[in-house]
Amino acid sequence: MNRQDPVSDEALIEAIQKGDKNAAACLYNRYIDRVHRICYRIVLDVSQVQDCVQEVWLKVFRNLDHFRCRESFAAWLNTVTANTAIDYYRKWIKQGNRLNSDDVHIRVVADEQTTDQQLDNALIHQRVNEALKEMSVKQRTALVLRYFEDMPMAEIAQTLACSEGTVRTHIRRSLLALRAKLAGKTI
Amino acid sequence: MQNQHLSFEEFKAYFQDSFDSQEELMTEYNSFLMIFKQLDQMPVPDLSYREKANIFRRSCQKQPQEPSLIFTWLGLFRQPAVTFVLGIVIGCFLMSVVMNDPIDLTGTASADELLEIEHTRYSRTYKGKIIDEFYSEFENPKIVLEKAGQDAPPQRTLHGTLENGEIYVVWNL
Repeated sequence: MNRQDPVSDEALIEAIQKGDKNAAACLYNRYIDRVHRICYRIVLDVSQVQDCVQEVWLKVFRNLDHFRCRESFAAWLNTVTANTAIDYYRKWIKQGNRLNSDDVHIRVVADEQTTDQQLDNALIHQRVNEALKEMSVKQRTALVLRYFEDMPMAEIAQTLACSEGTVRTHIRRSLLALRAKLAGKTI
Repeated sequence: MQNQHLSFEEFKAYFQDSFDSQEELMTEYNSFLMIFKQLDQMPVPDLSYREKANIFRRSCQKQPQEPSLIFTWLGLFRQPAVTFVLGIVIGCFLMSVVMNDPIDLTGTASADELLEIEHTRYSRTYKGKIIDEFYSEFENPKIVLEKAGQDAPPQRTLHGTLENGEIYVVWNL
C-alpha cells in the first residue's frame, strides 16, 4: 500500500465488492503505473502495451469478487500482471508478429540536435533493448520482477509457477544475454 | 522507479563457477552494474491521463459473462478423467449388447418371462407366458413332469384353476 493513501487496499476491495465504482477508480489509480510498467517491460512493444494493460484490469475486476483479503493484493496483482503479459506476448508472437528493434535508432537519427554522447547512449539503449527482446519471455519476466519490481525469489517462483532454482537460471541467462549484447559477444 | 541493483552476493551466487579469480569476478560484477545503470536510464513511456481513463472505463464496462449450462457440461467432458471413465462405461454397454447379453437395468424382466422352470429332485414344473397362451382356458396353468422314483417313468400333468380359482383342475397329459 502507498503510505500517502489513507485507505488500505483491503478496504477498497471490500467497497468494490459491494459495488463502489469510486473505490475501483481509487485502486486503479494506485496501481495503473506499476501494471503498465511491468507490461511494457515484458511485452516491449508500445503499440501492444495498452491492450495488454486493459486485459490485466479486466481480469482484476472480474476476479476481485473471489479475492480474499488475507492475501496481499499487490502480490496477487503482480501475478495477474506478469502472467497476462506473458500470455499476451506469446499470443501476439504466435500470430506472426515481430518485435521492432529499430525504435531507438530511428528516433535518434530523426533528431538532428543529438550530440555524440546522446548517440552513444542511444546505441547502448538499443543494444539493451535488443538483448531484452532476444531473451525468452520468462527470462525477461524474471529479470523485470527481480530487478525492477524488487520481488523476492520465492514470490517470482510463485508468480511463474516454477521453482526458485528455475528462476535463478532464468535470471542468470538473462544477465548473460545482456552482458553478451553490450560487450558485442555472442553466448 | 530505479531498479534494485544486483548485490555482489547475489552476483556471486549466479556466476561463482564461471570465473577463476575473485578479481575477475569483481571486474565482471562492475560491468554488470554498468548494465543496470543503462537499464535504469531506459525510459518507460507514460500513459496519458486519457489513455488511463479509457482503459479503466473499458475494464469496468465489460461485465463478466456467466458460462451457460451447456458450456459448463461441455467443460466437464473436456476433462480427460471424465472422458476416460465415460468411454469405459459406453464400451462395456456396447460389448454387452454385442455379446447378446443385455444388462438387466430394471429388474422387472422376470415378471414377463416366457417360460419358467422349477426343478426339484423328481419333478420339473413349467409355467410362464407360453403355457398361459397354450392353455388359455385355464387360470395359472402349469405343467408338472414328475417321477415316482429314480427308475419310474415320467408322468406329465397339467395343473390349473377355473372360475376364479374355485375349481382346481389336474389333467393327465
